[in-house]
Amino acid sequence: MNTIEERLWNYIDGTCSDEERKAIDMLIEQDAAYRLKFEELLNFDQQLVKMEMEEPSMGFTYKVMEGIRAEHALQPLKAGINKNIIKFIGGFFIVTITLLVIYLFASVPVSHANLSKPLTDNIKLPQGLDFSGFKNYLNGSVILKVFFVFDVILALFLTDAYFRRKKLSKQV
Amino acid sequence: MQSKLSDIDLIEQTLAGNQAAYADLVKRHQRFVFTLAMRFSKSREDAEEIAQDCFIKAYRSLASFQKQSKFSTWLYSIVYTTAMTFLRKKRVDTDSIDDENTYIQLENHSSGLNNDMAETKSRSYYLNQAIGQLLPDDATIITLFYMGEQSLEEIGQAVGMEANTVKVKLFRARQRLKEKLEKNLKGEVKELI
Repeated sequence: MNTIEERLWNYIDGTCSDEERKAIDMLIEQDAAYRLKFEELLNFDQQLVKMEMEEPSMGFTYKVMEGIRAEHALQPLKAGINKNIIKFIGGFFIVTITLLVIYLFASVPVSHANLSKPLTDNIKLPQGLDFSGFKNYLNGSVILKVFFVFDVILALFLTDAYFRRKKLSKQV
Repeated sequence: MQSKLSDIDLIEQTLAGNQAAYADLVKRHQRFVFTLAMRFSKSREDAEEIAQDCFIKAYRSLASFQKQSKFSTWLYSIVYTTAMTFLRKKRVDTDSIDDENTYIQLENHSSGLNNDMAETKSRSYYLNQAIGQLLPDDATIITLFYMGEQSLEEIGQAVGMEANTVKVKLFRARQRLKEKLEKNLKGEVKELI
Protein backbone atom coordinates (compact mmCIF):
# COMPACT_ATOMS: atom_id res chain seq x y z
CA MET A 1 0.00 0.00 0.00
CA ASN A 2 1.53 3.27 -1.10
CA THR A 3 -0.66 6.12 0.07
CA ILE A 4 -0.28 9.72 -1.09
CA GLU A 5 1.22 10.61 2.26
CA GLU A 6 3.73 7.76 2.08
CA ARG A 7 4.76 8.77 -1.44
CA LEU A 8 5.18 12.36 -0.33
CA TRP A 9 7.32 11.34 2.63
CA ASN A 10 9.52 9.27 0.32
CA TYR A 11 9.78 12.34 -1.91
CA ILE A 12 10.73 14.60 1.04
CA ASP A 13 13.22 12.06 2.45
CA GLY A 14 14.72 11.55 -1.00
CA THR A 15 14.16 7.81 -0.93
CA CYS A 16 11.94 7.55 -4.03
CA SER A 17 13.10 6.66 -7.53
CA ASP A 18 13.77 9.28 -10.22
CA GLU A 19 10.60 8.33 -12.09
CA GLU A 20 8.51 8.62 -8.97
CA ARG A 21 10.10 11.95 -8.14
CA LYS A 22 9.23 13.36 -11.57
CA ALA A 23 5.66 12.11 -11.22
CA ILE A 24 5.31 13.74 -7.80
CA ASP A 25 6.86 16.96 -9.12
CA MET A 26 4.12 17.10 -11.74
CA LEU A 27 1.39 16.30 -9.25
CA ILE A 28 2.56 19.04 -6.89
CA GLU A 29 2.57 21.48 -9.77
CA GLN A 30 -0.84 20.55 -11.16
CA ASP A 31 -2.91 19.32 -8.20
CA ALA A 32 -3.72 21.93 -5.55
CA ALA A 33 -4.77 19.36 -2.94
CA TYR A 34 -1.58 17.41 -3.50
CA ARG A 35 0.48 20.62 -3.21
CA LEU A 36 -1.26 21.54 0.04
CA LYS A 37 -0.52 18.14 1.53
CA PHE A 38 3.08 18.36 0.39
CA GLU A 39 3.54 21.79 1.99
CA GLU A 40 2.00 20.55 5.22
CA LEU A 41 4.33 17.56 5.39
CA LEU A 42 7.36 19.59 4.35
CA ASN A 43 6.62 22.10 7.09
CA PHE A 44 6.28 19.29 9.62
CA ASP A 45 9.56 17.81 8.41
CA GLN A 46 11.34 21.15 8.76
CA GLN A 47 10.06 21.57 12.29
CA LEU A 48 11.41 18.14 13.16
CA VAL A 49 14.79 19.06 11.67
CA LYS A 50 14.90 22.24 13.77
CA MET A 51 13.96 20.40 16.97
CA GLU A 52 16.32 21.10 19.85
CA MET A 53 18.10 18.41 21.80
CA GLU A 54 17.80 17.89 25.53
CA GLU A 55 20.66 19.14 27.66
CA PRO A 56 22.13 16.90 30.38
CA SER A 57 23.27 18.35 33.70
CA MET A 58 26.36 20.56 33.86
CA GLY A 59 28.62 17.96 35.38
CA PHE A 60 27.64 15.17 33.02
CA THR A 61 31.07 14.67 31.42
CA TYR A 62 32.72 14.79 34.82
CA LYS A 63 30.33 12.15 36.15
CA VAL A 64 31.05 9.88 33.20
CA MET A 65 34.80 10.20 33.67
CA GLU A 66 34.38 9.64 37.39
CA GLY A 67 32.37 6.51 36.64
CA ILE A 68 35.15 5.26 34.41
CA ARG A 69 37.75 5.91 37.09
CA ALA A 70 35.62 4.33 39.79
CA GLU A 71 35.12 1.16 37.81
CA HIS A 72 38.76 0.97 36.83
CA ALA A 73 37.47 0.73 33.33
CA LEU A 74 40.84 0.62 31.68
CA GLN A 75 39.95 -2.06 29.18
CA PRO A 76 40.98 -0.02 26.14
CA LEU A 77 44.51 0.18 27.56
CA LYS A 78 44.50 -3.50 28.39
CA ALA A 79 43.11 -4.34 24.99
CA GLY A 80 45.78 -2.11 23.50
CA ILE A 81 48.50 -4.55 24.58
CA ASN A 82 49.78 -6.37 21.55
CA LYS A 83 48.32 -9.86 21.68
CA ASN A 84 51.17 -11.15 19.52
CA ILE A 85 53.54 -10.61 22.46
CA ILE A 86 51.34 -12.79 24.66
CA LYS A 87 51.16 -15.42 21.92
CA PHE A 88 54.95 -15.26 21.48
CA ILE A 89 55.55 -15.78 25.22
CA GLY A 90 53.09 -18.69 25.27
CA GLY A 91 54.69 -20.22 22.18
CA PHE A 92 58.15 -19.80 23.65
CA PHE A 93 57.23 -21.75 26.76
CA ILE A 94 55.53 -24.52 24.79
CA VAL A 95 58.55 -24.92 22.47
CA THR A 96 61.00 -24.81 25.39
CA ILE A 97 59.10 -27.42 27.40
CA THR A 98 58.77 -29.66 24.33
CA LEU A 99 62.49 -29.39 23.59
CA LEU A 100 63.37 -30.14 27.22
CA VAL A 101 61.16 -33.25 27.23
CA ILE A 102 62.67 -34.47 23.94
CA TYR A 103 66.18 -33.81 25.21
CA LEU A 104 65.44 -35.60 28.46
CA PHE A 105 64.11 -38.71 26.73
CA ALA A 106 66.92 -38.68 24.23
CA SER A 107 69.58 -38.48 26.95
CA VAL A 108 68.20 -41.42 29.00
CA PRO A 109 69.89 -44.66 27.81
CA VAL A 110 67.55 -47.66 28.07
CA SER A 111 69.19 -50.98 27.11
CA HIS A 112 67.28 -53.59 25.11
CA ALA A 113 68.37 -56.40 27.49
CA ASN A 114 66.60 -54.85 30.45
CA LEU A 115 63.36 -54.51 28.58
CA SER A 116 63.34 -58.09 27.28
CA LYS A 117 62.93 -59.55 30.81
CA PRO A 118 59.42 -60.50 32.09
CA LEU A 119 57.24 -57.57 33.10
CA THR A 120 57.24 -58.43 36.83
CA ASP A 121 61.02 -58.16 36.90
CA ASN A 122 60.91 -54.83 35.20
CA ILE A 123 58.83 -53.11 37.86
CA LYS A 124 62.09 -51.93 39.37
CA LEU A 125 63.90 -49.25 37.47
CA PRO A 126 66.06 -50.78 34.75
CA GLN A 127 69.66 -51.11 35.80
CA GLY A 128 70.81 -49.43 32.65
CA LEU A 129 68.95 -46.27 33.53
CA ASP A 130 71.55 -43.57 33.87
CA PHE A 131 70.49 -40.35 35.60
CA SER A 132 73.98 -38.86 35.63
CA GLY A 133 73.35 -37.12 32.33
CA PHE A 134 70.21 -35.51 33.70
CA LYS A 135 72.06 -34.47 36.90
CA ASN A 136 74.78 -32.91 34.81
CA TYR A 137 72.14 -31.24 32.74
CA LEU A 138 70.58 -29.67 35.86
CA ASN A 139 73.96 -28.71 37.27
CA GLY A 140 75.69 -27.34 34.27
CA SER A 141 73.49 -27.08 31.16
CA VAL A 142 73.89 -23.75 29.41
CA ILE A 143 70.39 -24.03 27.91
CA LEU A 144 68.81 -24.35 31.34
CA LYS A 145 70.78 -21.40 32.72
CA VAL A 146 69.71 -19.28 29.75
CA PHE A 147 66.13 -20.43 30.30
CA PHE A 148 66.19 -19.39 33.96
CA VAL A 149 67.79 -16.03 33.19
CA PHE A 150 65.12 -15.40 30.56
CA ASP A 151 62.41 -16.27 33.08
CA VAL A 152 63.83 -13.81 35.59
CA ILE A 153 64.04 -11.05 32.97
CA LEU A 154 60.48 -11.78 31.84
CA ALA A 155 59.22 -11.69 35.42
CA LEU A 156 60.93 -8.33 35.99
CA PHE A 157 59.52 -6.97 32.74
CA LEU A 158 55.95 -8.03 33.58
CA THR A 159 56.23 -6.69 37.13
CA ASP A 160 57.45 -3.37 35.76
CA ALA A 161 54.56 -3.25 33.27
CA TYR A 162 52.08 -4.03 36.05
CA PHE A 163 53.37 -1.23 38.28
CA ARG A 164 53.42 1.23 35.36
CA ARG A 165 49.75 0.49 34.64
CA LYS A 166 48.87 0.83 38.31
CA LYS A 167 50.67 4.18 38.49
CA LEU A 168 48.91 5.41 35.34
CA SER A 169 45.50 4.45 36.66
CA LYS A 170 46.21 6.36 39.89
CA GLN A 171 47.23 9.46 37.91
CA VAL A 172 44.05 9.25 35.86
CA MET B 1 42.50 22.41 18.69
CA GLN B 2 40.85 19.34 20.25
CA SER B 3 37.43 20.20 18.85
CA LYS B 4 38.77 19.97 15.30
CA LEU B 5 39.82 16.38 15.79
CA SER B 6 37.60 13.72 14.26
CA ASP B 7 35.89 11.06 16.36
CA ILE B 8 38.40 8.49 15.08
CA ASP B 9 41.36 10.69 16.15
CA LEU B 10 39.87 11.04 19.61
CA ILE B 11 39.28 7.29 19.82
CA GLU B 12 42.87 6.56 18.87
CA GLN B 13 44.12 9.02 21.47
CA THR B 14 41.87 7.41 24.09
CA LEU B 15 43.18 3.96 23.22
CA ALA B 16 46.69 5.32 23.60
CA GLY B 17 45.81 6.23 27.18
CA ASN B 18 44.68 9.86 26.85
CA GLN B 19 41.46 10.03 28.84
CA ALA B 20 41.02 13.74 28.15
CA ALA B 21 40.36 12.75 24.53
CA TYR B 22 37.51 10.55 25.69
CA ALA B 23 36.10 13.42 27.75
CA ASP B 24 36.03 15.45 24.49
CA LEU B 25 34.21 12.61 22.78
CA VAL B 26 31.64 12.53 25.59
CA LYS B 27 31.13 16.31 25.35
CA ARG B 28 30.62 16.00 21.61
CA HIS B 29 27.91 13.33 21.82
CA GLN B 30 26.37 13.81 25.26
CA ARG B 31 23.42 15.94 24.18
CA PHE B 32 22.27 13.47 21.61
CA VAL B 33 22.85 10.40 23.79
CA PHE B 34 20.95 12.09 26.60
CA THR B 35 18.10 13.05 24.27
CA LEU B 36 17.89 9.49 23.03
CA ALA B 37 17.92 8.18 26.61
CA MET B 38 15.08 10.59 27.43
CA ARG B 39 12.99 8.90 24.73
CA PHE B 40 13.09 5.72 26.78
CA SER B 41 13.12 6.77 30.39
CA LYS B 42 10.80 9.82 30.50
CA SER B 43 12.70 11.13 33.52
CA ARG B 44 15.88 13.21 33.51
CA GLU B 45 17.47 11.25 36.36
CA ASP B 46 17.00 7.91 34.65
CA ALA B 47 18.07 9.34 31.31
CA GLU B 48 21.31 10.64 32.84
CA GLU B 49 21.92 7.23 34.38
CA ILE B 50 21.35 5.52 31.02
CA ALA B 51 23.52 8.04 29.16
CA GLN B 52 26.37 7.69 31.67
CA ASP B 53 26.14 3.93 31.51
CA CYS B 54 26.32 4.09 27.71
CA PHE B 55 29.49 6.18 27.70
CA ILE B 56 31.14 3.89 30.25
CA LYS B 57 30.17 0.82 28.20
CA ALA B 58 31.45 2.50 25.04
CA TYR B 59 34.75 3.26 26.79
CA ARG B 60 35.12 -0.34 27.88
CA SER B 61 34.50 -1.63 24.36
CA LEU B 62 36.34 1.13 22.52
CA ALA B 63 39.13 -1.21 21.43
CA SER B 64 36.56 -3.43 19.71
CA PHE B 65 35.13 -0.56 17.63
CA GLN B 66 35.88 -1.59 14.04
CA LYS B 67 35.78 1.93 12.52
CA GLN B 68 33.83 0.56 9.56
CA SER B 69 30.76 2.52 10.57
CA LYS B 70 30.46 5.98 12.09
CA PHE B 71 31.29 6.19 15.80
CA SER B 72 27.89 7.81 16.36
CA THR B 73 26.09 4.83 14.79
CA TRP B 74 28.06 2.44 17.00
CA LEU B 75 27.38 4.59 20.07
CA TYR B 76 23.65 4.82 19.31
CA SER B 77 23.43 1.03 19.07
CA ILE B 78 24.88 0.92 22.61
CA VAL B 79 22.32 3.52 23.74
CA TYR B 80 19.50 1.50 22.20
CA THR B 81 20.48 -1.79 23.84
CA THR B 82 21.31 -0.14 27.18
CA ALA B 83 18.01 1.72 27.23
CA MET B 84 16.07 -1.43 26.33
CA THR B 85 17.80 -3.32 29.14
CA PHE B 86 17.05 -0.45 31.48
CA LEU B 87 13.38 -0.55 30.52
CA ARG B 88 13.25 -4.29 31.09
CA LYS B 89 14.90 -3.91 34.49
CA LYS B 90 12.58 -1.15 35.53
CA ARG B 91 9.63 -3.12 34.16
CA VAL B 92 8.23 -0.02 32.62
CA ASP B 93 5.09 -0.73 30.70
CA THR B 94 5.74 0.85 27.33
CA ASP B 95 2.01 1.33 26.82
CA SER B 96 1.68 3.17 30.10
CA ILE B 97 1.57 6.48 28.26
CA ASP B 98 -1.82 5.42 26.93
CA ASP B 99 -3.12 4.76 30.44
CA GLU B 100 -6.17 6.60 31.54
CA ASN B 101 -4.27 8.41 34.28
CA THR B 102 -1.66 9.67 31.88
CA TYR B 103 -4.32 10.96 29.58
CA ILE B 104 -5.90 12.79 32.45
CA GLN B 105 -2.53 14.37 33.19
CA LEU B 106 -2.03 15.31 29.56
CA GLU B 107 -5.55 16.65 29.25
CA ASN B 108 -5.03 18.79 32.32
CA HIS B 109 -1.70 19.93 31.04
CA SER B 110 -3.13 20.83 27.64
CA SER B 111 -6.17 22.53 29.03
CA GLY B 112 -3.93 24.73 31.12
CA LEU B 113 -2.24 26.07 28.04
CA ASN B 114 -3.74 29.24 26.83
CA ASN B 115 -2.80 31.01 23.64
CA ASP B 116 -0.15 33.11 25.31
CA MET B 117 1.59 30.07 26.68
CA ALA B 118 1.42 28.39 23.32
CA GLU B 119 3.20 31.36 21.83
CA THR B 120 5.86 31.58 24.47
CA LYS B 121 6.67 27.89 24.55
CA SER B 122 8.81 26.86 21.65
CA ARG B 123 7.66 24.54 18.91
CA SER B 124 10.53 22.33 19.89
CA TYR B 125 9.05 21.93 23.34
CA TYR B 126 5.76 20.62 21.99
CA LEU B 127 7.46 18.35 19.52
CA ASN B 128 9.67 16.91 22.24
CA GLN B 129 6.65 16.51 24.48
CA ALA B 130 4.72 14.65 21.79
CA ILE B 131 7.72 12.48 20.92
CA GLY B 132 7.97 11.65 24.61
CA GLN B 133 4.45 10.22 24.41
CA LEU B 134 5.30 7.86 21.57
CA LEU B 135 6.41 4.28 22.06
CA PRO B 136 10.19 4.07 22.60
CA ASP B 137 10.80 2.50 19.19
CA ASP B 138 8.91 5.24 17.34
CA ALA B 139 10.56 7.97 19.39
CA THR B 140 14.01 6.47 18.82
CA ILE B 141 13.63 6.23 15.06
CA ILE B 142 12.39 9.83 14.78
CA THR B 143 15.19 11.05 17.05
CA LEU B 144 17.88 9.13 15.19
CA PHE B 145 16.60 10.31 11.81
CA TYR B 146 16.18 13.99 12.61
CA MET B 147 18.60 14.70 15.45
CA GLY B 148 21.21 12.03 14.95
CA GLU B 149 21.40 12.73 11.22
CA GLN B 150 21.53 9.01 10.58
CA SER B 151 20.54 7.43 7.28
CA LEU B 152 17.91 4.68 7.20
CA GLU B 153 20.72 2.11 6.82
CA GLU B 154 22.60 3.52 9.83
CA ILE B 155 19.45 3.55 11.94
CA GLY B 156 18.93 -0.05 10.88
CA GLN B 157 22.43 -0.90 12.14
CA ALA B 158 21.83 0.88 15.44
CA VAL B 159 18.50 -0.76 16.22
CA GLY B 160 19.10 -4.08 14.49
CA MET B 161 16.51 -3.75 11.72
CA GLU B 162 16.48 -3.74 7.93
CA ALA B 163 16.57 -0.30 6.28
CA ASN B 164 13.17 -0.95 4.68
CA THR B 165 11.64 -1.82 8.05
CA VAL B 166 13.08 1.41 9.45
CA LYS B 167 11.53 3.32 6.53
CA VAL B 168 8.08 1.89 7.23
CA LYS B 169 8.48 2.45 10.97
CA LEU B 170 9.58 6.05 10.38
CA PHE B 171 6.52 6.71 8.26
CA ARG B 172 4.21 5.27 10.93
CA ALA B 173 6.06 7.06 13.73
CA ARG B 174 5.60 10.42 11.98
CA GLN B 175 1.90 9.71 11.56
CA ARG B 176 1.55 8.85 15.24
CA LEU B 177 3.52 11.94 16.18
CA LYS B 178 1.14 14.12 14.19
CA GLU B 179 -1.80 12.47 15.92
CA LYS B 180 -0.25 13.11 19.34
CA LEU B 181 0.38 16.74 18.46
CA GLU B 182 -3.17 17.17 17.24
CA LYS B 183 -4.45 15.59 20.43
CA ASN B 184 -2.20 17.67 22.70
CA LEU B 185 -2.68 20.98 20.97
CA LYS B 186 -6.11 20.47 19.47
CA GLY B 187 -6.77 23.31 17.02
CA GLU B 188 -3.42 24.96 17.50
CA VAL B 189 -1.53 22.26 15.70
CA LYS B 190 -2.02 23.78 12.25
CA GLU B 191 -0.60 27.09 13.39
CA LEU B 192 2.24 25.50 15.28
CA ILE B 193 3.45 23.17 12.57
